[in-house]
Amino acid sequence: MTLTWAEKYRPRKLSDIVGNKAAVKAFLDWIHGWEIGKPSKKAALLHGPPGVGKTSTVYAYAIERGLDVVEINASDYRTRERIENVIGMASQSATLSGLRNRIILVDEVDGVDSRADTGAVASLTKAISETRIPIVLVANDPWDPKLGPLRDKCEMIKFTRIQKPSIASHLKKIAEAEKLKVSDNLLRMIAEKSGGDLRSAINDLQALADSGGALSTETLGERERERDVFSAMATVFSARDIQTALSAFEGLDLEPADFFTWLLDNVPEWIKSPRDLANAMERLARADIHLQRVLATQRWDLLKYAIAIMTAGVSITARRGGGGGRLGFPSKIRYMGQTRAEREALASASSKIAGKCHLSSRKARTEMLPYIAFMIGRDKSTAKSLGGFFELSEGEMKYMAARYAMVSRKTGV
Amino acid sequence: MLPWVEKYRPKTLDDIVNQDDVIASLKNILSTKSVPHMLFTGPPGTGKTATAHAFAHDLYGPNYLSDGLFVEINASDERGIDVIRERVKTYARSVPFSGIGFRLLLLDESDQLTDAAQHAFRRTMEQFSNTCRFILAANYSNRIIEPIQSRCVVLRFKPLSKDAVGKALAKIAKYENVEVSDSAVEAIYEFSLGDMRKAINMLQSAATISRKIDEKTVYTVMGHVEKGLVRRMIDMSISGDFKGARDLLRELVYLNGVSPSDIVSSISREIYGIQLSDTEKIELIDALGETDFRIASGGTPEVQLLAFLAKLAARKGVGK
Repeated sequence: MTLTWAEKYRPRKLSDIVGNKAAVKAFLDWIHGWEIGKPSKKAALLHGPPGVGKTSTVYAYAIERGLDVVEINASDYRTRERIENVIGMASQSATLSGLRNRIILVDEVDGVDSRADTGAVASLTKAISETRIPIVLVANDPWDPKLGPLRDKCEMIKFTRIQKPSIASHLKKIAEAEKLKVSDNLLRMIAEKSGGDLRSAINDLQALADSGGALSTETLGERERERDVFSAMATVFSARDIQTALSAFEGLDLEPADFFTWLLDNVPEWIKSPRDLANAMERLARADIHLQRVLATQRWDLLKYAIAIMTAGVSITARRGGGGGRLGFPSKIRYMGQTRAEREALASASSKIAGKCHLSSRKARTEMLPYIAFMIGRDKSTAKSLGGFFELSEGEMKYMAARYAMVSRKTGV
Repeated sequence: MLPWVEKYRPKTLDDIVNQDDVIASLKNILSTKSVPHMLFTGPPGTGKTATAHAFAHDLYGPNYLSDGLFVEINASDERGIDVIRERVKTYARSVPFSGIGFRLLLLDESDQLTDAAQHAFRRTMEQFSNTCRFILAANYSNRIIEPIQSRCVVLRFKPLSKDAVGKALAKIAKYENVEVSDSAVEAIYEFSLGDMRKAINMLQSAATISRKIDEKTVYTVMGHVEKGLVRRMIDMSISGDFKGARDLLRELVYLNGVSPSDIVSSISREIYGIQLSDTEKIELIDALGETDFRIASGGTPEVQLLAFLAKLAARKGVGK
């Protein structure tokens, strides 16, 4: 598994944390209490929206001081047992040599399912009273009623969304490190879309880079003439005649398939009337057929049909239906970036199951895995033994449990 | 605990259910020890792979795998015909130590090979037929080229009868100490039809809910593993939430790895139950048929299904 950029560029020093200076200072003040052996509170609860540096702060501090971070994910299905084992052991035996250099990090505290893990909050509270090493809890929403008992025991440290200009300039640094050529405008767009979530912004940048051609242009000179994908889409959506619409793709430094992806997700943003939307999506579906024929047969002369239909074809329905709205970064690219780890877990689990069940990976994925995920999500002891039988990794087990939870939530079953 | 499909996998030809003609032919072959190349065809979950193993077991004895007398290659996993030929070559080249003088090679999901790859494989079969006999397994015999078919004894596996599925489930339930009501067996059969793998998976999944399995338990699993998300996606579309339906489609395709053809067939089963006029239902079925065909002929499944969902979202439901 390749390192995601969010991991690769995780801050290694507290001074590298983007934004949230006050929160980092509050964290240092609190941990200073531990350093001098007199913590005001034994645990801290870092709270705030996703991707703003809560966990990174803890890791950066640990790296600076040479500490080990013992990480527990609170929404892990074995929460209670794990909390008791890890926290109990690590913090109680801290007087023994070598174990003092630790810090316990409990992630996603608000993800504790109060029904499934009745004892989780209580175990944590108890562990905090008894601990001899720092415990840091991380949560998005600390005001969840079930966390009440914990709040009293913790130093509350609030992290806020990161300013968009800070995100954009951080993205720029990463882009430079990765030798990506990308316009400031596009970086601002990504930052804008991120809603102050730096991690998702980095994921978006990586997804964009992975999607190919989109960013890495040959020379800077060429960039001057390059048309922005947003203005190309604007041309498609607001052209008054077919010639203008057809010209939308000209001068755009994007593969047709990539422009197609941008259109696919922006058409529903722009076209409001369901009937016109259906017509526009049908045009895109036709354009896809032409595009796939080109790819399958390498008949590049057929490309003109695909382009005509995705530009002018969409344009005539947009023109009739009117519309408007914000054009944005394709949610598909974002989604694929965010789900990379899960999709890799799906693929690797499928191939493990295939090996044991005399099936191809493809069939294992469709014929076996849904049931395995159901049984794993459903029942802990089954999970343990099936996980053992198929030799599933922690990430793969997590995928299975998350899949079960997702389906339950969405279907209400 | 093992997956029950593995735990109760047939070991010998006598364990194979519902395929009397096939088993009779194979036993006849066993008695003469003159083993031809064979082509096993039939729908998923009817016992093709299991029968190949059972045949090897009965031919060579229980150590047929560790003795290196039988090997299984999955055509759909191996990257290209050259890799397959290379593997076959290394395996089939030498004369085995056993008295019979040839090994067995199972090429599973062989209908996944292109025609050109099948022609190449046919030459490989001929080249090594002195030291190796081939069993090809495939869902559809019509996807296997004529020259291969003509060199093989073709054995056709039938979908399992309701009776056979019921008996097998009852046997497993007894071993596993779970109770299965008649209506549950009925529901499992309706869901799995003649696919034993599906039926057993369903039984084991249901058993994680309750040791007493009734039809409600079965429906719960069904909603979870198959119909639930598709149903929800359709509901979202019908209520006009195209983007919500789109996001769900992406979860189905990319995160859960559901095959597009399964999504299409689930939709086709659900359409008649939707609150729409009969005319609209027929129009949607027509559109779905088009979607299905386009995907089969190379269209991007996600894009084609999105166009269909947009059509669904543009319908005026009876209830709206």
